Amino acid sequence: MGLFRKFAAGLAVAATFAASMAAGSAHAETVRFWYHFDNPANPMSELVAKFEKANPGIKIEAENVPWNSYYDNLYTSLIGGNAPDAAMVKLFAQPRLVEMGALEPLGERIDAWSGKADLLDNLLELNKGPDGKQYYLPIQYVVLYLYYRPDLFAAAGLKPPTTCEEFRDAAIKLTKAPETYGFGLRGGKGGWDQWGAFVFSQGGALKPGGLTNPQAVAANQWVIDLFRKDKVIPPSAPNDGFQEIIGAFKAGKTAMTIHHIGSSKDLVAALGDKVSAVPVPKCGDGRWTSYGDESLAIFSSSPNKDAAWKWISFLAEGQNNVAFNSATGQMTVTKSGAKDWKLHERRFVDATVESLPFAHVLPQNAATSEFVNTAWQTAMQRALTGQITSQQMMDELNALVAQ
Amino acid sequence: MSIVTPTRAAESPGPFWRRAHLTPYWLLAPAVVVTAVIVFLPMAQAVVTSFYDLILFRPNASRFVGFGNYIKLFNDPVFWTALWNTIIWIGLTVPLQMGLGLVTAILLNREFPWRGLARALIIIPWALPSVVIALMWRWIYDPNTGVLNDLLIYLSVVQGAVPWLADPHLALYAVIATLTWQGFPFFAVMILAGLQGIPKSQYEAAALDGASPWRQFRHITLPGIMPVLATAGLLRVIWVANSMDVIFVMTGGGPGYATHTLPLYAFIKARQNLDFGYGTAIAVTFTILLGSFVAVYLVRTMREVEK
Repeated sequence: MGLFRKFAAGLAVAATFAASMAAGSAHAETVRFWYHFDNPANPMSELVAKFEKANPGIKIEAENVPWNSYYDNLYTSLIGGNAPDAAMVKLFAQPRLVEMGALEPLGERIDAWSGKADLLDNLLELNKGPDGKQYYLPIQYVVLYLYYRPDLFAAAGLKPPTTCEEFRDAAIKLTKAPETYGFGLRGGKGGWDQWGAFVFSQGGALKPGGLTNPQAVAANQWVIDLFRKDKVIPPSAPNDGFQEIIGAFKAGKTAMTIHHIGSSKDLVAALGDKVSAVPVPKCGDGRWTSYGDESLAIFSSSPNKDAAWKWISFLAEGQNNVAFNSATGQMTVTKSGAKDWKLHERRFVDATVESLPFAHVLPQNAATSEFVNTAWQTAMQRALTGQITSQQMMDELNALVAQ
Repeated sequence: MSIVTPTRAAESPGPFWRRAHLTPYWLLAPAVVVTAVIVFLPMAQAVVTSFYDLILFRPNASRFVGFGNYIKLFNDPVFWTALWNTIIWIGLTVPLQMGLGLVTAILLNREFPWRGLARALIIIPWALPSVVIALMWRWIYDPNTGVLNDLLIYLSVVQGAVPWLADPHLALYAVIATLTWQGFPFFAVMILAGLQGIPKSQYEAAALDGASPWRQFRHITLPGIMPVLATAGLLRVIWVANSMDVIFVMTGGGPGYATHTLPLYAFIKARQNLDFGYGTAIAVTFTILLGSFVAVYLVRTMREVEK
């Protein structure tokens, strides 16, 4: 026993020594932070340097995790016990993360935070967890709207569509296959939010029975018909992801597509004045577009929650948030930052703001993650290629939601 | 191995771990231990996991279900689609790679200027990372901006752009073509090495006897490279069967389930939907299927080669 005690004491001394060596003079805490930026020239290191200068006791290890496997990596690291302290997160993942018990409630910290009043109205409400608690701190947002080619519309004597009927009519008139198509549909991963504008607006909803009602099935059939009957969508649509729809629009292959302000810089660089945007059309009696959220969260497993909070709240404050958004090309969540917004052309900001009144997030239930990640696209691709009917597709998705 | 085992009394020069007949085992031990820890242990774990209903984000709802996942699997139409796709995937890719590799190797075995350069260049597809290849071919196939459709339309082979990866009847074959392109250099290099091991004198003798080039190929070249073909073929079957990175990047398994192979299906279930119970059940089933195929292949081809 005596020997063991001596050994333990020695170990403790060694550990303290090692720790103090590592920490240097101050007791540095390390915050591991995960984010995803598409932009290769990202200013995260500048933000980190600015933060570390203001908070000498905290070291930030910021890691850019590729988007395509962001959530796969996040979930597995959480389960494997190697999760970061804080990360960028989206609302669709919140129910699953709450179910895993992985999130740290932030309500009290946000209430005590000076930046709270500077956040845009309603954002915190929109970001609330399924149990009513606040886990997410908003960091940026976008709203999906309709990109169109003003030059092609003018040449055909058309106005940008405000209803589904006008949208289809314009798409048919603008299609000169195989050179140009009316609409670039994203049939691959991540296309559900385009589809939502046509289906969730007309009675579809991501809840048991919400997809199988006749209106929703008919609305889905309408989308399928755009591809199969009207042929106003490029034949590549079932496999098209973000790169392809933006690439086709830039190349003049499509006259309309649905995406958000994040791609506007890229599109203006390629098309100049020949690209503009309007809110998505009104379909039936409703209008629906996807509110593309991004927030920051702290994980309950983190040993450095205070330091992590300092870091994430730093990113959500005024000018820091503007710097953050200049990399992602999205919209700031702060009032002070939005006042003098220069990162995007005015017409895209207008289309975004005009879309806010009918922008929605998906309902927060456990099926949402699977719907977004895999289920929607496998069902949609088979419906687009005629392997299943609209009814079968909706039945299949309904089975997932009803689980 | 023929070690003469002396009697115990005659030996006993020291402690038992020093004894000569144990030396091979000591030398093998590090490799065995590493393999056991990083291969066999996870394999055993996977088998155990496959008997549980384990969804990772619901760790508390995990329960033992026996063969439940396997019963679900055999009633899952996607499993049968994926199995059939896997058979086409292996059955086309490996012979195509082998055929193309054989032709390339025979060409490269001839004397021509810059042969060394050609031999080095041919290895490029094999040396590129799969993800790069997948992205590259994704753009080549792209119906709106891709070069393949451009060429085919220019040559009037097709009227309009063909959606290679978006058509469920074409997508799998389009990906197979990509993988064939990626993998044939492996065969070419292996076969080339085999070809150079065939003595020239055999061809000279055959030519003297009046054997046609075809008969020379059939009776000298083929038997000469048979062991290489058998081994390289086996390696490729296993590699191609398990490789899903190219499919994943090019189509993600779509459109629908058109390019789902079993390893990809297991990956999607386990890693993307976090359903580890079901995902490992797919993986274990596929391991058994592939293992049986490899066993049969080994027994048959080794017998052929040894003839």
